[in-house]
Amino acid sequence: MQAQTEVARGTGAASRRDFLKRVVGKAETAGLSETAYSDAMVAAPEGWRDPQIRLLRRATMGLQVSDVLNVRRQGYQSWLNEQVNFTRINDAAVEAAVAARYPMLSQSPIELAVANSGTLRGQLQDATLYRAAFSQRQLYERMVEFWSDHFNISIIKVGYLKAIDDREVIRKHAMGKFSDLLKASARSPAMLAYLDQNLSRAGSPNQNYVRELMELHTLGVDGGYTETDVAQLARVFTGWSFTGAGEFTFNASRHDFGAKTVLGVQIPAASPATGAAGVNEGELMLDVLINHPSTGRFLATKMLKWLLTPEPTETQINAIAGAYRATGGDIKRMVRAILNEQWVSSAPVKLKRPFHLVASGLRATNATVSSASSLTAQVRILGQPLFQYETPDGYSDLMEFWVGNVTPRWSFGTTLANFNSAANTVVDVAPYLAGTPDAAIDKIQSDFFGGELALSTREQLLTYVRSGTFNAARVRETIALALCSFEFQWY
Amino acid sequence: MHRDEHADEPVGDSGCTEYRQLSRRRFLSTTARVSAAAAIFPSWLPRITLAQHYSSSRDVMVSVFMRGGVDGLAMVIPFTDPLYYSLRPTIRTPAPDSLAANKAIALDNFFAFPPAMQGLLPAYYEQDLLVMHAVGQLTNNSRSHFDAQRYMEVGKPVDPDLTSGWLGRHLASVPPLQKDAKLRGVGIGSGLAKTLVGGPKTLPIADPANHTIGGSASTRAERSALLAANYAETNDPLKSSALDALNTIDLLSSLNFNGYVPSNGVTYPNTSFGRALRAVAVLIKADIGIEAASVDIGGWDTHASQDPNGGQMFNNMLGFSTALGVFWADVIATDYPVTTVALSEFGRNAKENGSAGTDHGRATAMFAMGKQIAGGRVLTAGWPGLAPEQLESRQDLRVTLDYRDVLAEIVSRRLENSNLGFVFPGWTPTFRGVTR
Repeated sequence: MQAQTEVARGTGAASRRDFLKRVVGKAETAGLSETAYSDAMVAAPEGWRDPQIRLLRRATMGLQVSDVLNVRRQGYQSWLNEQVNFTRINDAAVEAAVAARYPMLSQSPIELAVANSGTLRGQLQDATLYRAAFSQRQLYERMVEFWSDHFNISIIKVGYLKAIDDREVIRKHAMGKFSDLLKASARSPAMLAYLDQNLSRAGSPNQNYVRELMELHTLGVDGGYTETDVAQLARVFTGWSFTGAGEFTFNASRHDFGAKTVLGVQIPAASPATGAAGVNEGELMLDVLINHPSTGRFLATKMLKWLLTPEPTETQINAIAGAYRATGGDIKRMVRAILNEQWVSSAPVKLKRPFHLVASGLRATNATVSSASSLTAQVRILGQPLFQYETPDGYSDLMEFWVGNVTPRWSFGTTLANFNSAANTVVDVAPYLAGTPDAAIDKIQSDFFGGELALSTREQLLTYVRSGTFNAARVRETIALALCSFEFQWY
Repeated sequence: MHRDEHADEPVGDSGCTEYRQLSRRRFLSTTARVSAAAAIFPSWLPRITLAQHYSSSRDVMVSVFMRGGVDGLAMVIPFTDPLYYSLRPTIRTPAPDSLAANKAIALDNFFAFPPAMQGLLPAYYEQDLLVMHAVGQLTNNSRSHFDAQRYMEVGKPVDPDLTSGWLGRHLASVPPLQKDAKLRGVGIGSGLAKTLVGGPKTLPIADPANHTIGGSASTRAERSALLAANYAETNDPLKSSALDALNTIDLLSSLNFNGYVPSNGVTYPNTSFGRALRAVAVLIKADIGIEAASVDIGGWDTHASQDPNGGQMFNNMLGFSTALGVFWADVIATDYPVTTVALSEFGRNAKENGSAGTDHGRATAMFAMGKQIAGGRVLTAGWPGLAPEQLESRQDLRVTLDYRDVLAEIVSRRLENSNLGFVFPGWTPTFRGVTR
């Protein structure tokens, strides 16, 4: 049955690609496409020609004037290299703001354990959006978002432990080595609590964590493991737990020291006197998973889907899986290989998820954010409350899932464009009002769209801004419409 | 509902004229009109021909997905099977004839509801609720939530190339219930459940009461017109979603969601599931041509502390049965032509684990509710038994009833769609007497 599945998948990929060859330019509405949700690829608008701008769309949380200037000055490869080597980018201003506004994020587990959980959740959500919108390390923030879904943990279930996981697992290793990231996650109290690993013990192991460890974190569902492997791996990880102080611990008294075989790897029986060294069995299996060919392939496919295209080709997957193998799972190298100029220039569009849309709105409008809470509320209304996704697969990145949610996107654009509260968020319209109505549209075209705006959209916005009195209200509505336009939904 | 007014009119809107002659092959060969539809309805799907006439008696379909893998053995307990109690030493419900306060309520001589499921008893006693057991996917034994949910919703386990959902394809293969319906299918949520993917005039709507582009009322029409023109220039699927969304804004704003008073004096619980069913009730009673709704209820992945009489399963079942019981009293008991099903991707191990929970298993319970559902009983296609040799892999309740048999009978008899090969490709269903 496994073999049949593989054959079927291969055939499907080919026929989809045939179909995609024909999806260029504007698709006509055929009868059945009245609501044609699909994960099929959508060609980029014809006006998206500049590879540098296309790189910015792929590697940032949305276009911003300063990034456009930077990429123009540095060139494609140099800008990309700098973003990949993100620690070389000075981000002190944003980090200082985060430290001042969201002090709980740097507190110790002991302090956080007794902190108000609602306040902590708010600070974590607000800081995440603030960093996504304003950090100079944009590609890094894209990868933080990626790994936050890959290693999804619901803060509703684990509380303050998620804030520690965000700091010590996701942000620490988002652009490091996958092996370090996985091992940190496997020892993270938040993950152990989220997937009930701390409750697993010899004799009656809990399979929740180990199943997702293979299915979602490493091998992928078709990665070649069996139900027996799940059951055996559950025995290997018995005893992996955490203390009341929010620290990892291996509880030898709960560990199953019997012989196991997982993925063909034999772990001999050991004496219970082995004690703390019993943790080595789990460490061994993490290495087996990290080095398993399915893992490189699974991660390569998922990262390609995230950064480049909903339907990566075999060639692309092989190349990035090769980079995983060759570099020992160096995320930086994989990301840089994915974002090469040739692939980025010919990539189809992707649809911004709600978090991405909100961050990109803040960047486009150059909003001044004094308090991010009303913006994280917008992310929630749009359907992506941060760190609150219940199941371990993380928020969907499929176009078919999000594309029907259009009205709330428009409502968000309207809300953002009308923000004018110093205590909260300000979108300053004075620069738009300083010149003519046409100059206001020029500014929108360059700030929001990197200069690449369809003639039809430009004409629509021009007509709108000209058709009323040229005042703040009219300009805000025009900005809202730009944020609501189809081009602002794609990236 | 006023179904009869369209009873004998021919299908009128342009989309349906095309559906009537729908040929997969032709779709693919017509390159000029190629669209995402081709990916959704691949060429190998059977050719369908739409009926010319409206039906006067088709039901509205409400599909409830219980995400996470419901422990059917906790929800509908086989209390006469002595192995149930030995497999569940701590997470158990006492038999109906016990003296315990939290004893189960017998549904027949073999099966019983735990007390947390009592919200559904009125529907059961009225014979509107059919309980089914040992149900699942005969052709997919994946214990992955995400694979099992996907293929259950797609309606063809296991075919990774089919991206549309069974209910979406149902909508695509029948003429609209109302000629000019602007919204035929709705998923309560920010994203569209796989179940409904492929449905024409189908949108995910998280909060139908606040479905607006916002901003000044005086410029709203002008702004809406701009958006309509703007999105006409982009590609599907975004284009069609946007145009469908624009068409529903005025429609939904005309409905009084906040002031809705349910029938029979009932009140929906203020939970996400309760609010979702309440919104569905408003949409159905408004008679705007809604034909299908999808609602999710999560939290069923009970690996730990699932105590059916006070733990997570208790809370889940209470929330589920209460809200669905209210929906029955409000909508089904008042004779609206609605069929509701509730299903889950798989069940859980027969034996509890060491954390007072259960890990991923196979068969589970399923529910169907409606005036034309042959309810008031528990239906199985043979109880597979709980002895080690009777269990799948010696650990899981075996699937004896494929969920597609249940859905196909409803699609055929209650939704009056004869294109079962299109809705459930590759499956030859056996009708089990689910409907009256």
